[in-house]
This record gives sequence, C-alpha cells and structure tokens, in this order.
Amino acid sequence: MKTPAKILAAVLLSASVGCNHLPGKPGLRPETQRPDQTHDFATLYKTNCSACHGDNGKNGPALPLNNPVYLAWAGHDAIQGIVSNGVPHRLMPAFGPGAGGLLTAEQVEDIVNGMMKNWGKKDVLNGQNVPAYNPGSAGDPTQGQAVFQRNCASCHGADGKGVAGGPPHVTGSIVDPSYLALISSRGLRDIIVAGIPEQKMPDWRGDASGKPMTDREVTDVVAWLVSQRTPHPGTMVTPADKRKNQAAIAPVQSRGGR
Amino acid sequence: MSGLKQKGIAIYRWLDSRLGLAGPVIEAAEHPIPKSSASWWYVFGSAATVILMMQIVTGVLLALVYTPTARDAWNSLNFLNHGLTLGWFLRALHGWGSDFMVAIVLIHMTQVFMFGAYKFPRELTWILGVFLLLMTFGMAFTGQVLRFDQDAYWGIGIGASIMARVPFVGSKLVHLLLGGPIIGATTVSRFFALHVFVIPGILLAFVGLHVWMVLRLGINEWPMPGRLVRRSTYIQEYEAEIHKDGVPFVPDAGWTDAMFAAAIILAIMACAALFGPIGPTGPPDPTIIQTVPKPDVPFLWIYALLALLPPKLETPILLIVPVVVICVMLALPFFAGEGEKHWSRRPIAVLMVLVIAVSLGTLTVVSLNPPWSPEMTAWSADPVQPRFLRGRTPLERQGAIVFQEKQCRNCHALAGLGGKRGPDLASVATRLTEDELVRQVLQGGGNMPAYGSALSPAQTTALVAFLGTLNGNERPARDPSLELTHSNAAQKQQKF
Amino acid sequence: MEHPTTQPSQHSRRTFLFKLALLANGAVGAVLAVPILGYILGPVFKRGRSYEYWIPLGFLHQFPEGETRLAHFHNPDGSPADGQTRTLPCWVRHIKQNQFQVFAINCAHMGCPVHWFPQSKLFMCPCHGGVYYQDGARAAGPPPRGLFEYKYKIVGDRLMIRAGQLPTLATHASIAAPGSSPCQG
Repeated sequence: MKTPAKILAAVLLSASVGCNHLPGKPGLRPETQRPDQTHDFATLYKTNCSACHGDNGKNGPALPLNNPVYLAWAGHDAIQGIVSNGVPHRLMPAFGPGAGGLLTAEQVEDIVNGMMKNWGKKDVLNGQNVPAYNPGSAGDPTQGQAVFQRNCASCHGADGKGVAGGPPHVTGSIVDPSYLALISSRGLRDIIVAGIPEQKMPDWRGDASGKPMTDREVTDVVAWLVSQRTPHPGTMVTPADKRKNQAAIAPVQSRGGR
Repeated sequence: MSGLKQKGIAIYRWLDSRLGLAGPVIEAAEHPIPKSSASWWYVFGSAATVILMMQIVTGVLLALVYTPTARDAWNSLNFLNHGLTLGWFLRALHGWGSDFMVAIVLIHMTQVFMFGAYKFPRELTWILGVFLLLMTFGMAFTGQVLRFDQDAYWGIGIGASIMARVPFVGSKLVHLLLGGPIIGATTVSRFFALHVFVIPGILLAFVGLHVWMVLRLGINEWPMPGRLVRRSTYIQEYEAEIHKDGVPFVPDAGWTDAMFAAAIILAIMACAALFGPIGPTGPPDPTIIQTVPKPDVPFLWIYALLALLPPKLETPILLIVPVVVICVMLALPFFAGEGEKHWSRRPIAVLMVLVIAVSLGTLTVVSLNPPWSPEMTAWSADPVQPRFLRGRTPLERQGAIVFQEKQCRNCHALAGLGGKRGPDLASVATRLTEDELVRQVLQGGGNMPAYGSALSPAQTTALVAFLGTLNGNERPARDPSLELTHSNAAQKQQKF
Repeated sequence: MEHPTTQPSQHSRRTFLFKLALLANGAVGAVLAVPILGYILGPVFKRGRSYEYWIPLGFLHQFPEGETRLAHFHNPDGSPADGQTRTLPCWVRHIKQNQFQVFAINCAHMGCPVHWFPQSKLFMCPCHGGVYYQDGARAAGPPPRGLFEYKYKIVGDRLMIRAGQLPTLATHASIAAPGSSPCQG
C-alpha cells in the first residue's frame, strides 16, 4: 500500500501548488477602479461622448469627431476648452471639474489626446488656405445671403428651407427658428468649414461654387443664418397670432356666452 | 505494522477510559431510525452542518489577515485576493459557502415543512430552526458588510434607513447599528464582533441543541397519507415503527448524508475555483457617487421589494410583515402540531410553499437586471442608433441631441439600448400624437417627472420633432379630431 | 452514617448559605450589568443634536449662482480608522445671492447616493429609482419625501453647514424639503 499512498500524496501536493492557475483567480490589480482613475481613451469616449457624437466619432446626431479636418482646424486647445466648459446655453455639456463636470482635468486631456491620436491627421491642412477658427469680425448678413446663393442653395434651397423631394440630407430646413436657437454660431462655423462627411456636407472646399470659401465668406454666411433667428423660437403662438385670436373671439365674448 | 496498530488501540483506550465519549457517540451514530427515513430527501440538515464547519474553518483563516476597520478592510481584502498565495481561493470558498449555506438552509426548512417534521413532538426543534434561519441571514448580512466595499457601505446605509423607520426609537436604532453618527470605523468593528463572536456563538449553541433533539426525538418518519399525528399516540407509534422496521443510522442512512455533504463541498470548491472570490468592488469612499449599489444574492428579493412597494405603504409593510411572518413560523407547531403529515393531504402547505418560492424567485430574478432605476450613464454612453437618424432633418437631429442631453435615455431605451424604467421609445410615434408628446414631455405623469422647467420651447419643438419620426415604418399616431375640424394645411400650422 | 440531608438543621443552614451566595452573585451581576449595558448602549444615549457641528464647505465663489455643485466635507467626530468614510459629499445649490440649499447625498428612501444632472435639472438615485427636482422636491419613485437638507450659514466668504449624522428619516438634520409634511419621519 506504500506506492499508491505516495502517488496520492504527490498528486495532492502538486495540485495545491498548481491551484494558483485556476480560472477563478483574480487578475493583478483590484478589479474595480475609481472612476477618476480611468485613463483609457476608448472607455472615456464611450462613456461620455459616444451617445451624441456616435460610436467611433461618427454617425451620431452631433458633430462627427473622427473628422481629421475638424481636429486639425480646431486644434487641441480649443477642443479641450469645449470639452471642459461645454458650449454655454447650448446642448454640449461641460465635463471639466471647474465647470461642475465629473471628469478630472487629466481625463479631459486623455479624451482630447485620444481623439487627436486616433482620428487626427497632422498634415491634412498643410498648404490649404483654411478659414480662421474664430471669426475676425462681425459678418455682413446681406453679403452672406449672396454667398449662400452661390455655395449652398443648390442643396439647401434658395431660402435655406430645404429642397422638397430631394435626397434625405437636403430636405430639411436649416433656417427653422428652433434649429437656429439650438445651434450656436460656433457650431455653424464648424459645420461649414469642416463639413459632415457621412452626411455628404462638404467642407469649405467642396461647395457648389467650385471654389474654396474664404474666411470672410464663411463669417458672412454664418451672420446671415444667425440673422434668421426669431425672438421666440419654438413657441406656437406668436404675439401676432394672439392678437388675431383675440379678434376672432371678441364677437362671441360680447354676446355674453358660447 | 501490528505493533503500531496495537499502540493506536492502546492510546484510544487510554483516552476513552477518561473521556467516556466512545459509548455515547457510537450509540448516537447507530441509533435506529425508521427505514423510510433512510432517503436522499433527508440529507440537507447534515449538509448545512458540514458547510457550517467549513465556514468556521475558512472564517478563522480569513480572520488571520482581515483588518476590521473602515480604513483598512478593503485593502486587506485586496491583499487576500492579490497578495497572498491562494488567499483568493480562501475568500472564494467562504463567499460561495455563504450563498450555498443560505440555499441549503432554505431547502432543509422546506423539506422539513413539507414532511411535517415540525409536528409533535419536534416543535422545539422547529422553533430553534427558525432562529437558526434568521441567524443564517444575519451571518450573510454581517458578512456582506465585512466585505467593506461600495456595495457594503451603501448597504449599511440602507439597513440604517430601514431602522430609522421604526417609530419613537428609530434614531436610537440607527445609532446603535452604526455605533455612532455615521458609517465609519465603529460600524465595521461592531459588525465584525457580531459576525465572528456573537452570532456564531449563539448559532453553535442552537445547532448543538437542534442536533441533540434530533437524536433524542428520532428522525421523522416518511409521511403517509391518512396516518395522523396525535399527541396521545404518536410516541408509541414511532417506537413501534422503529422496532418493526428500524435501521441503524450509520451506515444505512449515514452514507447518503456523507455522500451529499462531500458533493456539496465539492460544488462549493468548484464554484470557488471557476468563478473566484466575490468582490470586493470599488473602495468604500462615499465621495464616489458614480455607483450602483446592489446586495448579495440572498438579499436581492428585499432589494426588489424596496423598489416596488408603494411609498406610503412601505414603512408599515417593512416593519409589520416580517414580525408577523416570523411569529407565524414560530407558532406553526402549535396551531398545526397534529394531523396529516403527507403533502397530498395538506393543500394549504403546498400552496404556501409554491407561492413563497415563486414570489421570492421572481423578485430575485428581476433584481438581476433591475428595471426600476435609471441607468446613470445611458445619456452619454448609449448612442442613438444610426437608423433612427437616417433621412432626418437638421431640426430632428438636434432633437436627437436634446433627447440624449436631457437624460431621457437614462429611463427610455431606443430599440433595447438604454434605460428600462420607462417604455422603449423606438415606436413612440405610433402611440402618441405630437400634442400628446408635447404634453407628456412637459408635464410628465406617473413615474415620469415633469421636464417643463428644463426644456426651452425650441428644445421641446426639436425633441418632439425627433420623437415624431420614431414610428418604425408603421403608421404614425394621429388625432382624428384634428382632421374633422381643420384642413391639412391648417393642421400643420396649428399644433396646440 | 446518617445522610447529611436527613439532618434538618445543617441542611437548612447550607441551603441558606447557598441561597445567600446566589443572591450575592445576582447582586454583583446586576451591578456589573450596568456598565456593560452602558457601554453597549453608549451610542444611543448621546443626543442626536450633539453629533452635529458647523462644518466649512468651501468658499462662496466655488458655487456659481444658478448651479448645483458637489462639495465635500470632513466629519468632525471620528477616529483615524475611519479612513475614506470620514469624507462625505453633498450637493450645494446656489439659488441667488445668499440663498442656498445644501442637500444631503443620501436619498430619502434608503440612503443611496443621488446623482445630479444639470441638463434635466433632476437628482436621480441608482438604487430603487427615486427622482427629485432641483429644489429637492420628490418627482418620482419610492422616496416618501424630498431630499434631506442641511442647515447652512454664511460666515464671511465661506459656506458652512450643520452636519455630523447620517441623514435618515429619523435622524435628518434640519428643514423638511418643500412638498413634504414635517410630521413625516
């Protein structure tokens, strides 16, 4: 009975040592990290940005971020400012600690650097005459309307209200008062210069006129669009409607009943 | 070899002549039980005892390293997981052992109940068993707290909030539970004392009495329909059955108990080896608010109950129902101590077990994927699927951004992606007209808050424009009265 | 030899002495129970108010007007062994000028941490689905009342709150939230 006992002892001993390589064994670090210790770009982007800007920076309702033209044009600092502080009175929230967001400054850096690294192309704007990121002066709406006719009307309609029966990306109005109330002039400038490739919106070089838009032209077009804003966007009853309604029911009221 | 064997026997005789235990132990092991009780259905009690032994051994080994302070507990758990050889396995055995213990104790109680073993003369065994059940849950809860991570921290807060609802002495109970004003070092240390000293002490005493009475009063015979229990005749009938048809416990029935015990321990080891230790999750830092606390599996049914009870009924139900249930369980042998034992003649008993099992099971299963809380990150982490953006106008796309930005996604999914608290909105336009959408969003209703103060008219217009496109190629909802009173063109203008 | 118990006088004296010894043990036990019970019930005897202190929360400029921000404070009572549990968060809503509301992080239902969303102006609880409006009133879910609030005061340019207890329905520090009965809890 000696040998089987020895074999059993040997098996048990090696099992107890080899036990350390079982599937249940935890990894090297604590499983759950503190939320402010997450530095992985993919995780940070997915959790904070992908809902509006889309998976992998595209196909979302908000400005696509995987656009190298936009990334090179806006630059690291401007994007960091927007991520940290949001766009006031508009839909982009503030994520930085100073503005009440829940990300640390380091995590904001990780997001911006991650975008630049994964989606940016450093030389994409080399040798291009690209309009300035910020407008140099106030634009001229009248000039802007002319620019619009030349560059944009073929897709967006002469008055900006879209082309009926056209392909999906051109049927909608871009001068709807609610739409203009929700998008900032910063956002309009971004779309015009950087474009929205997946929606077939060209950048400043690909418009109908065939020539790249100048800085002046972009500023003027934005000024024209902004001039289409109304004081009470989205409200159904304007003061004029109110007066009309009052006039309509006044005879009924004077009769003293229904 | 025979010299060694003779030495062994001599030592055994030396010990036994002083201790005198061999006689009683062998007599207990070989005590006669009814032949019908030598069955696999009777193994759960001894399995619970064996798991208890394992929990004590693993618990003592863990206590060699675990530090019961609020500052160090989490670190010591991670040290056990990552810094000690096979420390993770020990934690895993203890954690999975706890879940198995609760399950086996519940199965054992159900089996005893269904076999009528609480009836005369085993009433006190049952009563002690009810207390053992409560103490098992007490050990599970205090043990869960000692795994001091985020779930445990907020879990104690939930315990304190339930204590606070007791009238008059609520605040005193809260301070007693926490050992002070807040959850801190005093809380962890008193839960440690409860889990390691107080409850195990009482538990072992009660288990000892419980097993003593099982031995003394005999194992319950297999119930027969029509064979009633009567206080005046039962003991004689039982003795007669043992004399006629009795078998010694060891080895006739003991082998099933021993086999099952081995199988259960093997199962616990397998779970520990394959699934690893339970937690700890994040550090118990109250400033980390991005957390979704959940209790361990044995308490998920309470988690569901707390979410689903109506607010006004919650306090009375939480405070009165458990007391009533425990009193009924304790009083059971006194109002049902005689009569039929077989389940085919006890429809109420069978119905009760089924209803309770299905209720607790349903509550537990529903808690695994809870639909009552908003998903805190869905608004920024769950994208609008591209098919809901195809062919939409710029205003409708802005509406999709509003839909995300206002945290609608936290409660409402789009085609399954998003929160589950409210209805999935992928086809909302087939159910609600534009007017109804505007009203619902601004005024809320039921479990939905009012968003009127957080939405500007432009945002509402965009949001409703987007929601109005979500009809999944079905016909959109329309208000027939509008068509009767206005032309189509006017209908487009007049939205209120 | 006569059995000791059949001698009445000696038996009754020994019995009496034994009963006296039991009485002595009973008396000593009762006296011993007092400090032991006092120790066990110690946290209960301290009055709730005496757990509270005025604690600084930060400078006024850290809380811009019209916003609700997360702030941290350290619990004054406690031991080094408390570790991270000593630092507690709370939500500070700056209404206007010197008007504030400081909400406890604990949901009024079961004490889980509520999460503020400035975009929808709602507090949401991850545990059982409680939701509150920006002024702390209950909006949806199982909570029986609005958020717990700390009393606050402004000393110079610092905001201070009166805190120190875990807020529950029995131990909430101060004013009932709007829309709920002060008799509740």
